[in-house]
Amino acid sequence: MVTTIDEPRIRPEWLLGGAVTLLGAIIIIVVTLVLGAREDAPVITPVDATELTVGTCAEDLRQPHWVPKTITRAVVECPADISAGIGRTTAEDHLGTWISYPLDGPENEETFRGGPGLAWPEEEVRAGAYHPLSAITYVAYPGSAELSDELSGDNVTVETEDLAGSGGTVRVTRVDNNGFGPVRLEWSDDAGSYLLLSTIGRTPTGNAGPTMAELLRIADSVAADDE
Amino acid sequence: MPTTRTWLQAGGGTVVAALIIAAVAQAMNSSAMWVSNDPVGECGQTSGGAVVAAQNVLSAGTGLKPVDGLWDAESEVATKAFQAYNGLPVNGCVDTGTWVTMRALMVSLCDPEFECRGPDHRVRYAAPDGAREAYFADNDCDWGSYVLPGVARSPVPSNKVMALSRDAVTEIECEG
Repeated sequence: MVTTIDEPRIRPEWLLGGAVTLLGAIIIIVVTLVLGAREDAPVITPVDATELTVGTCAEDLRQPHWVPKTITRAVVECPADISAGIGRTTAEDHLGTWISYPLDGPENEETFRGGPGLAWPEEEVRAGAYHPLSAITYVAYPGSAELSDELSGDNVTVETEDLAGSGGTVRVTRVDNNGFGPVRLEWSDDAGSYLLLSTIGRTPTGNAGPTMAELLRIADSVAADDE
Repeated sequence: MPTTRTWLQAGGGTVVAALIIAAVAQAMNSSAMWVSNDPVGECGQTSGGAVVAAQNVLSAGTGLKPVDGLWDAESEVATKAFQAYNGLPVNGCVDTGTWVTMRALMVSLCDPEFECRGPDHRVRYAAPDGAREAYFADNDCDWGSYVLPGVARSPVPSNKVMALSRDAVTEIECEG
């Protein structure tokens, strides 16, 4: 008697199904990894804004202790850097130290694509679609008690505002173009004089830049925790 | 009783004094406030020192290149973008409101009680790849533009202070 034992056969449809399943699994893993890598790093807002300048020449400078949550970094320019940029024409000890705080968020991003020209559609230009990155600039002039010359003009308002926390006052200069335009806050104390500058910008979807309340709070925080 | 001649002398003296005061006030305003510039663009000057100044601010604010003191279509588009973002009427003309807005963006490099030498004010915009800057000088006689290499193009030289109020592109000379 001859017994025929059928060897187990791998049916082609099983092979095809396994390959498709394996390929699907690989695709899912790869896509997950790629998307995971592209996710923004968690935004860590410092408890004290002075942490943003640790390790720079502004580390010991009198500076804001508070900034809006949409600010996660600061760019510091030291007097030596500025002096080098203008050909060392003036003494470094009279130059201010600059801290620039870029604001996050789509409305604050720079939207220029190439230089200005006819490739920029007229309607989009008129709507404010082409705008720079929003930032708040803080400049400290240690050892100076003076403020810059007061600006004037039909669209300029100059007012004095009290700072609730520190008890000081600031000179607020606004170029008020229908609620938009540059804002300057300037003040001095026994250690120096200071300037905060930003622009409340008009974009197609609303406003770019900080609010007046935020700028005043930043100025107020400079004197916080002074000993 | 004052005679007619006395009245005429008094009136003439008053008019002359008023004219002198007005001239001094105008001179102080134009040198210190940087708002009395002539319009630049299709509505005004299309070449010269004022055009250099406007283009210098626009280079920082919008990335306009080059700064050559000659008004063109790119300069007008840059002006419109600057005006729109700052809430100004969008007309492509650097008029008084636009000049004042540009002036408010300038920050002194030195402490305000110290007289810097060379470029002493700056307009600075943060940018994704660093920053765009334009420098100016507030000399005793006039404001001047200081254009960076890579942005300036002949007849505007880089790293020289160019007079803002001259019709032609000219290096600043306070002695004159």
